[in-house]
Amino acid sequence: MMHATTTSALSIKGLVKVYPRSDRPALDGLTLDVARGSIFGLLGPNGAGKTTAISVLCTLLRPTEGSVTVLGHDVIRQAGAVRRSIGLVPQDIALYPSLTARENLRYFARILRVSRRNLEARVADCLEYVGLSDCADRRIGTYSGGMKRRANLAVGILHEPEILFLDEPTVGIDAQSRNLIMEQLRKLNRAGMTLVYTTHYMEEAHQLCDDIAIVDMGKVMARGEPSELVRDADDCENLKDLFLALTGKHLRD
Amino acid sequence: MLLLANIKKELLLLSRDRAGLLVLFVMPMLLVLVLSLVQDDIFRATGEAASRALFANLDRGTLGEALGDALEQSGDIELVRQIDEVPLNADSARRAVFNGDYQFAIVIPEQFSSNITAAAEATVQASIRNETNRLHGSQMVVYFDPIVRGVYRTSVMNALQRGVSGLEFAEKGKALGHLMPEAFQRRLDEEFAAYGEPSPELDLPEISDAWARQALIQLEEESAYPPTYTTVPTSVQQNVPAWTLFGMFFIVLPLAGTLIRERQEGTLLRLMTMQVGNLSLLLGKVLAHMFICLVQFGLMLAVGMFLLPLLGTPVLELGSAPFALLLVATSAALAACGYGIVVGVLARSYEQVSTFGAVSVVIAAALGGVMVPVYMMPRAMQNLSVVSPLGWGLNAFLDIFVRGGNLASVLPRVVALGSFFLLCMLFAVLAFRRWRRGG
Repeated sequence: MMHATTTSALSIKGLVKVYPRSDRPALDGLTLDVARGSIFGLLGPNGAGKTTAISVLCTLLRPTEGSVTVLGHDVIRQAGAVRRSIGLVPQDIALYPSLTARENLRYFARILRVSRRNLEARVADCLEYVGLSDCADRRIGTYSGGMKRRANLAVGILHEPEILFLDEPTVGIDAQSRNLIMEQLRKLNRAGMTLVYTTHYMEEAHQLCDDIAIVDMGKVMARGEPSELVRDADDCENLKDLFLALTGKHLRD
Repeated sequence: MLLLANIKKELLLLSRDRAGLLVLFVMPMLLVLVLSLVQDDIFRATGEAASRALFANLDRGTLGEALGDALEQSGDIELVRQIDEVPLNADSARRAVFNGDYQFAIVIPEQFSSNITAAAEATVQASIRNETNRLHGSQMVVYFDPIVRGVYRTSVMNALQRGVSGLEFAEKGKALGHLMPEAFQRRLDEEFAAYGEPSPELDLPEISDAWARQALIQLEEESAYPPTYTTVPTSVQQNVPAWTLFGMFFIVLPLAGTLIRERQEGTLLRLMTMQVGNLSLLLGKVLAHMFICLVQFGLMLAVGMFLLPLLGTPVLELGSAPFALLLVATSAALAACGYGIVVGVLARSYEQVSTFGAVSVVIAAALGGVMVPVYMMPRAMQNLSVVSPLGWGLNAFLDIFVRGGNLASVLPRVVALGSFFLLCMLFAVLAFRRWRRGG
């Protein structure tokens, strides 16, 4: 794993993103600093701006205003350096369904410039890591939801990125797969990888993250260590109560 | 390395899509097969072979039959004189055309011979006496199926007109042959009668009518291209390259479809977070699909050379410039794939790809002379046809297959196809970059 000299994994200052033909900003002056080696949870209701923030951090979207650096690299001017050091596990199963898991991983490994010499071993390691070695030569289209999510994670870690962005990586899967993913994420973090994690599952975030930000309307509503945030809030027994207290109970579609 | 990875992935994806492959290979093959066979008949009907016509000869004399023989000898019309072994009459001939069983019927009336002979004599007699002939000849009716297009009507009417003219000349010659000596004798009788002397009996030779039948001018048809290459343009020579190009350009659908699918599945988004260049991604797709196009091309040539002849069509002749042929095929494949990439980058759904992509290819094919040869189009459409890349490709193929073309003669069209590809790629890369930046 490569290590830059900066102590911050992410530094976001006054980030504004307004989509074309939209009357309100998706991100409205978002400011965050995430430490290296942490598991950072970005929580918020639908439309709060989580995916937009991840997209800006992964160089997929250009910010309207503000500055964003990843491991000290500016996401606009040094997009190449940012891309080299990050991994993304997107919300969608971003894999080719007609290819096998091994073929998918091989392809992405080559794109991620994993050396030809290490490629097969690295693919096998990642498949092993997510418990898919036995069915690595089955097409992704034939996988269950949990298996697809695990394969999705495997691609994200192929090149051992310094920061791994996970956009709701456990949506709609069985308890066993979720448990495996959570365990492996902790292992990755222990090995030094910074995780930036978005989820709707508050309990999951409470268990996994050592630092969270609850965002709504493109702004940070609360920030800190999950247990401390719950303890400091009035009438809140858990993170879910705090989340609802901050973002309201009205439906978000 | 990245480009190779992208090409390999695309080929792998294509190989897994059996239905897609079936469409890519079988659809153009069926197109070439069916349309070559169907249009083979049209090619024959428009001059390569004789048109078939019913011939109801009711003439009591010999001229009706003589006209029939002359028409058949001309090779332009093949006459059918009976249906189900029953000789035709005016009603049965008309009914057969009305029912659509035949496209033309020629009905020779009962008094055809006697009327023509009388009219020929009257005409010649009037000329000798310097008078005006008021006796009209015979009428002959030709029934046409109303759906028959002008070109066939013209072809049949021209053949008929030639046959009738020959007959008229012969009859006029015959009349002249015996009326002229009579006129001499009459004039001699009148001159001698003025002196009260009997006129001598002249033994003038009867003029043969052969002179009337003998053509003075021979029309010779000769190709404007060098005599070293003598391939006759057949339906196969026109249709195989035309429909092969059409099939190759339909690569637009699967090619643009891969971009749409990658967007929908999220793989493209994932790729965008990796260090992969736009050109490498797009070129990987282009080169993989170009390979498919070239396989298509080879398959279609095989159909034209081996399968179609088994079904009764002429063999596809490939000309004598294999390198030029490969170059044209490659540039046409690149042009098709370049267009596919542009459609894929601009479209936002598979519905847009399948509608716009397919319709635009059909329009370009029509303009380029795939469906109707360009020279048969109205002038305005002929002018428009120069903008069709399918037209450039087709012309280059025909140049090699039919006109004995070589690398030098097809080079301008190869350059045009190559430039079209480069323009498409430039546009696609710019549009893709804009999209990648979240524009």
